[in-house]
This record gives sequence, C-alpha cells and structure tokens, in this order.
Amino acid sequence: MDEAARHRVALAAILALGGLLRLVHLGAIGLNSDEAVYLGQAAALARVPQLADLFPIFRAHPLLVQSLLAIVMRLAPVDIAGRLLAVAFGLATVWLTYQTGRLLYGRTAGLAAGLLLAVMPYHVVVTRQVLLDGPMTLFATLSLYLLARFAIDRRPRWLYAAGASLGLTVLSKETGIVLLAAVYAFLALTPSLRLRLRDLLLATATMALVLAPYPLSLALAGNLGTSRSQQYLVWQLSRRPNHEWDFYPTAVGPAIGLLVLLLAVIGLLLPRRQSGFQRTLLAAWITVPLVFFQLWPVKGFHYLLLIAPPVAILAGAGLAQLPPRLSLDAQRRPLPAAALAAVLLAGWLGVHAYQAILGPSQGRFLAGSGGVPGGREAGLWLADNSPQGSTLMTIGPSMANILQFYGQRRALGLSVSPNPLHRNPAYQPVRNPDFELRTGEIQYVVWDAYSANRSSFFSEKIQAYANRYHGRAVHTETMTFTSPSGEPVTQPVIIIYEVRP
Amino acid sequence: MKRLSAGLLAPAILLAVLVTTAPGDAQTGSDPEPNTPIRHVILLMQENHTFDNYFGTYPGADGFPPGLCVPIDPNDPGDGCVEPFHIGEQPIQDLDHSRRTHRLMYNEGRMNGFIHALNQLNQNGELAMGYYDDRDLPYYWNLADEYVLFDRFFSSAAAGSFMNHVYSVTGGPGAGRDRPTLDGLPDDPTIFDRLEERGISWKFYIQNYDPEVNYHDLVEGAPRPPQVEWVPLLSLDRYLQTPELFAKITDLDEYFDDLRNDTLPAFSYIKVVGASEHPPGSLLAGQRITRSLLQALMQSEAWSSSAFLITYDDWGGWYDHVPPPQIDEQGLGFRVPALLISPYAPRGVVDSTTLDYTSVLKFLEENWDLDPLTERDALANSIGQALDYEQEPRQAVIVPSQRYLGPAEQGPNRLLILLPYAAGTLLAVGLVAAAFRRSRKSGGPPVGNEP
Repeated sequence: MDEAARHRVALAAILALGGLLRLVHLGAIGLNSDEAVYLGQAAALARVPQLADLFPIFRAHPLLVQSLLAIVMRLAPVDIAGRLLAVAFGLATVWLTYQTGRLLYGRTAGLAAGLLLAVMPYHVVVTRQVLLDGPMTLFATLSLYLLARFAIDRRPRWLYAAGASLGLTVLSKETGIVLLAAVYAFLALTPSLRLRLRDLLLATATMALVLAPYPLSLALAGNLGTSRSQQYLVWQLSRRPNHEWDFYPTAVGPAIGLLVLLLAVIGLLLPRRQSGFQRTLLAAWITVPLVFFQLWPVKGFHYLLLIAPPVAILAGAGLAQLPPRLSLDAQRRPLPAAALAAVLLAGWLGVHAYQAILGPSQGRFLAGSGGVPGGREAGLWLADNSPQGSTLMTIGPSMANILQFYGQRRALGLSVSPNPLHRNPAYQPVRNPDFELRTGEIQYVVWDAYSANRSSFFSEKIQAYANRYHGRAVHTETMTFTSPSGEPVTQPVIIIYEVRP
Repeated sequence: MKRLSAGLLAPAILLAVLVTTAPGDAQTGSDPEPNTPIRHVILLMQENHTFDNYFGTYPGADGFPPGLCVPIDPNDPGDGCVEPFHIGEQPIQDLDHSRRTHRLMYNEGRMNGFIHALNQLNQNGELAMGYYDDRDLPYYWNLADEYVLFDRFFSSAAAGSFMNHVYSVTGGPGAGRDRPTLDGLPDDPTIFDRLEERGISWKFYIQNYDPEVNYHDLVEGAPRPPQVEWVPLLSLDRYLQTPELFAKITDLDEYFDDLRNDTLPAFSYIKVVGASEHPPGSLLAGQRITRSLLQALMQSEAWSSSAFLITYDDWGGWYDHVPPPQIDEQGLGFRVPALLISPYAPRGVVDSTTLDYTSVLKFLEENWDLDPLTERDALANSIGQALDYEQEPRQAVIVPSQRYLGPAEQGPNRLLILLPYAAGTLLAVGLVAAAFRRSRKSGGPPVGNEP
C-alpha cells in the first residue's frame, strides 16, 4: 500500500470514528429548545400539519439551514432526521479540516487535524444537535480553505469562491459575519499577497449576492418578516449578559480539550519559515470570533464552534512537529511519533466525547450542550393524552418550545417578559396568567427542573398557579441520579398539571 | 451551571403528591353495559334562543332564507317589514316567550307574527329579527365547525322554560302549565326513574345550587327562584323526599370533581343558573362556562365514551323561520340551537334530522334498553343517529374561544422564501465548483510542507 492509499484509509477511519461518535445514542434524548425551534421553523416552511401553525417561520436567523431541514421534514418529519443532517454537516467539516490542514501543513498534520476534530467533545456534542452552528462552521471552514488556496496560488477565483462561501456562512447564521473581520485582518497582515482592489470588490460583491436571499426573502415575505427581524435586532442589542466573563474558558475550553489547545499553541509558535501565511490566517480565524464573542454580552456554549477547525489544524500542525520516528524496539519498524501521539490524544478525547454524550445533567441544562432528558417523553404524552388545541403554560420558553414541538400543543412561557425590549420577539408573553387560567384559555401548567434551576421565582409562581387552579399532576417525568452517597435517587424533572378555573 | 436545589424540588414534589392523592367521591362504576360506545351522556340546557338567532347565517345550515323580510303587522302588509339584522353590541331585553306569544308568532304556520306579537305587548318587536353570528358566538361556531350542529332541533313544547324542562325529563307536559306552582308536578315517571330501575348512575348538576329551595318556597306574585323554574325535579315530592334521589341533585362543582375522580355518572343533566345566556345575559359568560364544562370533560377519562349535548330550553321570543311540526297539542315549539360534541361525532356536520328534547331521552332509552316514558319519546328520533360508531374515537379538540377559520396565518408564500435561498446557494456552489474545476486542470491542490 503506497503512502497515498494509507492516507486514504486513515482518513476513512477518521470519518468512521467521527461518524460513530456522532451517531451513537443520537436519538436517546429528545431535542432541546433551540433544536425544537429550528425543526419547528423547518416544519412551518414545509407546512407539516400541526407544527406549521405553532412555529413562526421568521424568528432570529437566516433560513438556509431551516430550508434544508424543511426538505428533511417533508420527507421524514421526525427529530432524528434533523439530527442526521447535523451529523452530515459535522462529518463534512471533519473532512474539510483534513483538507485544509493538509493544504497548510501537509498530510500528517491534515490527518491529525481531522482526527482531533472528529473526536473533539465540543464539535461532537454540537454537531449531534440540530443547531445552525454546525453548518455555519462547515461553510466557514470551506472559506478558510479557499482563502488558503488563494494565498498559495494567488488566483483571484479562489477569493471569489471564498466570498461565496462566506456568504453561505452568514446565510447559515448571521454571526458568521464576524469572519469578515478575520479575512480583513489576514489580508491586512499579509502584505505579500498584493491584493488587487478589483478582486477584493468582486469577492465582496459575490458574498453580497449569495447573502442577498436573507434580506430578499424578508422583503418578499412582507411586513411579517422585516418587522420580526427588526424586533430581534433591538432585542439582541439590549439583552443582558447571561453568563460570567469566564464562561468560555471554563465551559468551552475543557470541551475542546486542554491538550488540544496546548498543541494549537505549539502549532502557532512554529518557526515562521515553516508556517508563513498559515499562522496569520489561522490566528485571525480564531482570534476574531474569540474576541467578539468574549465581548458580546450574550454567551452560548455553541457560539465558538467556528474556532474548532482552525484550533484542530494548529494542533495537528503541532503534533506533526514531534520527532518523525519513535524507536521503541531496534528490531522492529519504528512508530511515527506524531501518529502515536495523535491516536493517544484522540482516544482520550473520544472517551470524553462519549462521556459528554452519555452524561445527562442532574436537572441541569446548558443550552447547546445536548438534549433535555424527559422533554420529548413529556411532549409525546401531551400529544397522546391532552385534547388537541390545548394550551400549556411552562416556567420558561425553553421547555415551551420542546413541548410545543413534541406535544403539538401551544405552549407559553411564564417568564417571557411583557416588555418587548426584554424578550425574544418570537415569544408571546402571558400578560395575565390568572385571567388566562380563570377563563380556561390555559389547560395545563408544567413545572420542570431545568427552568426551575434558572429561576426560583418563576418556579414558585408556576407552582402557585397549579395550586390555585386545582392543579392535578397528570404526568411526571423522572430521572434517576446517583446521590453523593452513591445511592440511586429518582427525582421528578417534569411535572404536568391539569388545571381548571 | 447551578445544581438543582432541593429547595426548589421539594415543593413541586409535595404539590404533586398532594394533588394526585386528593380524595374523591366514590361513584359506582357498575353501570350496565350500554349498546353503543357511549357510557356518559351529558345534557347542558341553556336558555332562550332560536336556531336562526344563533346560527341563522352559519354556512351550510338551514338559516335565514334569502330576501327574508318579516312584516311588522301580518294583517297589514302596508306597515312594512323588517329584515334580519346583526345585533352586535346593541342592548337587548327579555322578549316575551309565553304560550300565547308562541301562538301569535307561529300564526298558523305562516311564521310571520314575531314582530307583531311583541309589539302588542309593548315590547320592541323588531328586536326579534336580530341575530348573532361568529363575532358574538365564536366558541359555539368553532364547535359547530368541529362537531355536529343540528338545524332541525325543536323545543318540545310551544311554550316557555318550565314546560320544556318538564318535557326534557318526563317526555310529557307535566301538569300542562308553563310555570312551577305550589301544587308541584304530577308524579309522572322521569328518565331518572328509568335509570334508577336499571341501576344506572345519574346526577342533576345545578350551578349555585341551594338544596333548601324548591317549589314549596314559591310565593304567589313574587319572582320564582331560577332553580325551581328550571329544575323540574325540585317540583316533584318523590325526589325531594327520597334521600337517595335528592342526593343526586347536586351543585355543579361536583361535575368537575366527578370528572377528576373518574366518577362521572352515565347521565348528567346540567343546569347553569348564572351564565345561562338568558337575555339580556352575557353570551360571553355562557360560552365561557360551556367551555369550562367541555374542557374538563375533554381532559378526563370520560371523554372517550361521552356525548355532550348543548341546547336551549325555548326560543326566547326570537325569530326562527322554520315552522315547527305540530305533532300534538303541545308542540313542537320553535327550533333551538343544538350542538353534539363527542369522540364519535363526525367533524363539522350539519345534521337535519328532526329532533327535540325527547330525542335525548330516546338515546338514553336505546343505549341502556330503557322503557319509553311517553308516546313522545317512543316516537322521537334519537340524537345518537348523528354519531358514527364505526369511526375511530376522535381525540378531543379544545376549540379556541376566538373565531378560528382553519390555520389562522397561512404565512408568507414559501416559494418566495425558498427560491432566493436556492438561488444564493446555487450561485455559491457554482462559483466554488468552477474554482476547483479550473484548479484540477492545472494539476490539483498543492500539499503543504510538513513542519
């Protein structure tokens, strides 16, 4: 087997491993709130009965991913179908990371980069979910690759293609626009590229053309689309911080892997003769999103996924720096040290990724980190046991989204602010819960441990309403945890109360 | 990320335990097997409206004929006529609905004496031509869209509330009087007697029920307590003096308890006193209480084997254009609105079978092999003929209290959204593919140097 064939086999093995980690137990836990929203939007686009009336098409983001999901929902309107598409995006990103690493640092670094991303807990966890960040990262990595091609052979067609790819990045999720600054930083810090203004303008125009569907579809959709987007912008700009400043270092850092980060630093510190423009390009691709999202008051576990591929590429380059052969036994063929280290590191990351897949939280939930145990089951119970047209009131909008998707019943979050400046414009506030309950507009009240953990105030409120309106617990979802003493403890995580005036 | 605190969880668990273990009345679950899947029949008797008054403009129903104009004085066509008009927010009054007024309005089948009859009593006769529609009755119209609307459901007697209520429980006119008196009612058998004989459970639920008030408390010339006017059992000594029977006349609150405890009887007769829609009462309040009664049923175990009939005890002085069949000296009376809600009800059907209150008795008799009470119920059509037992029992549908006309917001044209995205994506894919194609011609991608 020649070297190229060995690389192909290694790449196939990496993709298989990445696929395994992304597919194992994929449907074990139901959708979380964001996933339910995106699949709900897709269902609305595809006019899936029941769901189309419950989820508005226009919410916060552009609709490229939701449009693709709409095709999936048309063919198979089930949650797992959306997740399979997310996995496909994730694996495509692994492949592109390999290609980009190979382009920038050679085959070994490419393989190492692909392997690290394939098993990186952060990327595994996020690309198992129906989120926009997975597709956005795929197109961002494609843009990175195309920009690297441009830097290598200076042909403007790569720049135009990179512009188009960046357009798709932003069409997937508007936060991808921050990479424009990364491109600018790279071009500005790499004077040897001698960029022509005409090429830059054409690339920008290409990006604008690809991006045009976003404003165009809003305009064609009329007032509904544009007003919703304006409201969303106002809301985003006035949101209060939802996490402490150290959220990314403490939540995302370990999910990427501290060793991977260390290797990435080593890759970044490669001598200039070995790294050239690569260092600038990757550093810009990591630094700009990192700084932007660190400064942005609203933080999310999945927001930094953009930096996972360049971090993996730098780590791959760092790994490839290890001495070429590690001779364990003089009589036998020496092992390549980089390969051995990569396999060991990948094994360690893979175990962590698997633990992250298996490890539902004890009544806790971090947005973007996985599904919500019990949510699907509670929703399906409602679909089977509550009258059509029922309305529920939950503690917050997150559980409302999940129950609305699975239960196909309208769900309202009690904590949604009546002040339009303080709420996601897609959500409807319950302005007078007593009135709604007294007049029979709301028939079920739902308490859940995840939302209760976020707000004891609204948790107590929802229990008070259940009590006041003759609440009767008609369904309870429980989870079994291991107590500090090692004993299994079963606790309710979702309780559905039937209420009446 | 914080751990779930025990302080938050404990009250929830406690509440769950408390509310799931609430004690309830023990209702016998030993009713004989019915002949249909219907094990629970619920009759809600509201007050004083005609079919045309509520559903005269409902699409597909036998509503106002085109070009209708009812003469102000049928004996003097020169006086002009009045077309049906939407009442909306206009103030209304309790129009006279006595036997005499019924006769004048009926006018030997010409159905043209409505305005004149009221004018003779110094009432605003033109008001009889007023109607409501889905702006005023969104909930009932939504129910009609979802379940069965009867447009040939007549009041049993050409009279007012009391006699029609008597018909609804005995199949006959009682003493032939249209109001309760200090003499009480003759000891005719009632449908409840028939149910008792077969050991079948029943209850008469009354809103704001006062067990101390019955026909003995009537005072000549004084206003009659509504529960005596509308609950014939409170004029029957047998029911007042037999504790087992009297215990089954109960407050409406028990209806909700029975649903929760899965002890709803086989036959429930519901009389709402406060929100009965009796003019000039609030239609909104009536729809609200009906909604709460129905929703409680839909959320209960009883739903899957239930049939809930909403109807009205007399025409209330309002216009209706269909001459009621004259089957005996008492009636029938003018049409009243009637809706049948059941998991076996076909969706959005207008049923034109001739029915009256004794059609409910007929259904009970057929369902549990009971003997008829009178010739009326023996010959009546059953409301059960509207139910389709071959269809899978339908999941309950809580219809909204606002008018619902299918998916409210069809939303924007999907093509206008999807096409721009498809075009943008194709453009990008084309540009990237073109770049790779030209690259392949020139020898494929370079491979970076190993560091």
